[in-house]
Amino acid sequence: MRTAPPLWALLPALLVLAGLSGGGLALALGRVGWADWAAVLPDGRVWAALGFSLWIALASSLLAAVLGLALAMLLRQSFRGRRVVGGMVAASLTLPHAVVAVGMLFLLSQSGWLSRLAFALGLTDAPADFPALTHDGWGLGIILHYAWKEAPFVALVLLAALRGRIVEQEQAARSLGAGAWGAFRHVTLPALAPALLGASVITFGFALGAYEVPLILGTHDPQALPVLAWQAFADADLTRQPQAVAMALLLTGAAAALLLPLLFWLARGTP
Amino acid sequence: MRPLLIATALVGSLSLHAQAETADGAALIGQDWAKIAEMAKGGEVNFFHWGGSDTINRYIVENIGGRLQAEYGITLNSVPVADAAEVVALIAAEKQVGNVDAGTVDLIWINGENFKAMKAEGLAFCGYVETLPANALVDWTDASIAHDFGVPVEGCEVPWNRAQFAFAHDSATLAEPPQDIAALLDWIKANPGQFTYPAPPDFTGSVFVRHVFYHAAGGPAALMGPFDQAKYDAAAAKTWAILNEIEPFLWRQGKTYPTTVAQLNDLFANGEVALTFNYDAAQFGQAVDAGIYPDTVRSYGLADGTIGNTNYTLIPFNSPNKAAAMVAQDVLLSWEAQLAKADPAVWGAATVLSMDQAGAELAAQFQALPQHPSVVSPNELAELALPELQADWIAAIERGWIAEVGQK
Repeated sequence: MRTAPPLWALLPALLVLAGLSGGGLALALGRVGWADWAAVLPDGRVWAALGFSLWIALASSLLAAVLGLALAMLLRQSFRGRRVVGGMVAASLTLPHAVVAVGMLFLLSQSGWLSRLAFALGLTDAPADFPALTHDGWGLGIILHYAWKEAPFVALVLLAALRGRIVEQEQAARSLGAGAWGAFRHVTLPALAPALLGASVITFGFALGAYEVPLILGTHDPQALPVLAWQAFADADLTRQPQAVAMALLLTGAAAALLLPLLFWLARGTP
Repeated sequence: MRPLLIATALVGSLSLHAQAETADGAALIGQDWAKIAEMAKGGEVNFFHWGGSDTINRYIVENIGGRLQAEYGITLNSVPVADAAEVVALIAAEKQVGNVDAGTVDLIWINGENFKAMKAEGLAFCGYVETLPANALVDWTDASIAHDFGVPVEGCEVPWNRAQFAFAHDSATLAEPPQDIAALLDWIKANPGQFTYPAPPDFTGSVFVRHVFYHAAGGPAALMGPFDQAKYDAAAAKTWAILNEIEPFLWRQGKTYPTTVAQLNDLFANGEVALTFNYDAAQFGQAVDAGIYPDTVRSYGLADGTIGNTNYTLIPFNSPNKAAAMVAQDVLLSWEAQLAKADPAVWGAATVLSMDQAGAELAAQFQALPQHPSVVSPNELAELALPELQADWIAAIERGWIAEVGQK
């Protein structure tokens, strides 16, 4: 039997959350005047940047969900070298994003290792023949980065959920005649759905607010909204600083509007 | 940092300064130099300068401070700061509380926006520059010296160092790179995919775009001074037409631009593009030494000039030690100090002295300094230097590029 913790035990956490997030938000709102909103909201670049950030977040969280699910299914099997693979998955979580992004550049860019391999195999004649996977208009490099970086996170969340009752239910389904796919489709996947959705909400929110990865792997246009906001913040023209804060608030608003309903639904659905 | 400085200034202004005898700048202008040196004797100079480099700090304290003490009996107090803007704020605060002859700052290392602010607010001591003997070797007809980021110097500061934009190519693969902007534009069209530039507002990419802007405007002369919308519109329309015309011939057909100069340098290092550039040519030598570029890389300026900026030292209006500060400026500008500073082993900063005015013998000494084969000689580069623009021009060009080239 679990008992709910007393309210006072939550107080420190609540204070930190309210103080940092709430305080930051209040300060931000205080810095932005109507004139700043009037400069930011009609700017087509801002909306293009918001769209680009949403696209990166959506594509990479979907890809990370699929890869993470596959990884979790693989890692729950017993096979030779499972511990090695599991260790590598856990280790990749500790790598900083900026480091992985530079690694992606070495791997995927038109003068990267893959391009050099293609050249050595005679598939391409020049760097420009290799497809543009970094600094491209669709943000492919950024999306691949987040898929690679977040799939292990999704897998670890799912592996934690894949214990206990779910195993008995799968065994019951199999003993009642369900095939491997049927048991996965009708028992495992529905049972994992809340954990998968929860992990995806986190990866989506993380990729939406990302600055360093789009900076390293992104193109000049469209740019991710956090990159655009930082440019405005660092502008020699100091009147652009409040506009940067307005862009950050816009991003926060978009994230809240998209993710809060999902989080409420998840909280209600969990027993 | 800033509140502390301002507090110091307020306390300083309350106490009575004993050695305020050379606070009266007007009495020094045009004076016999020997007399000024006599008045300066025993003076103290509080030199506020950017302190982020050990090499530079050592040069100021040992080389300049040592000479001032030995030859003139002047004490140089080096006050390293993170940003000259802090010092400008301090002097402005002193003026507000009526401190007109007992300021904390005697000398400040400055340029660009900070100089513009000091000049506009009347915080600079002006009009004495011709009194300095070392000024004889400064070419004030050179627009990149007479204008500090587009603001006329008008005797309010003394030049100290230069930085200048340069291009680089690999002489093994591209023996004869294009030598001016017109030739570069033709070369780009004849060699698709071999050139690109970082998208403004990247600092270096923005400087490159200004070279094309000068080319379209028929030279920088008409663009000096405050922002002028009509002149901007005329030159900008031509600039965007040129840049959009070459766009399909750029790296990746111009669909993508690098976002940082570091990215451009990587493209160059990997052989994806044939040319790169930087505001500091010494960077090319460092990249060769680090094994990032092949040692056949060479750097060069353009026949129609490349953009350079000069940084200066300035005496605030309320310095109580103006005679000693003038002597310090004269030492900083002297050919001995400029030669020592140009040596890469000491600092490697380019001189502001004119080699024509210096004469063959002195010029030969500058030429004889050890030089990296990949780094174009700063003196050679300085012969064709273009001035920088005022900040509002630069901001307008960056915004214009984003709207008219970057997003189309």
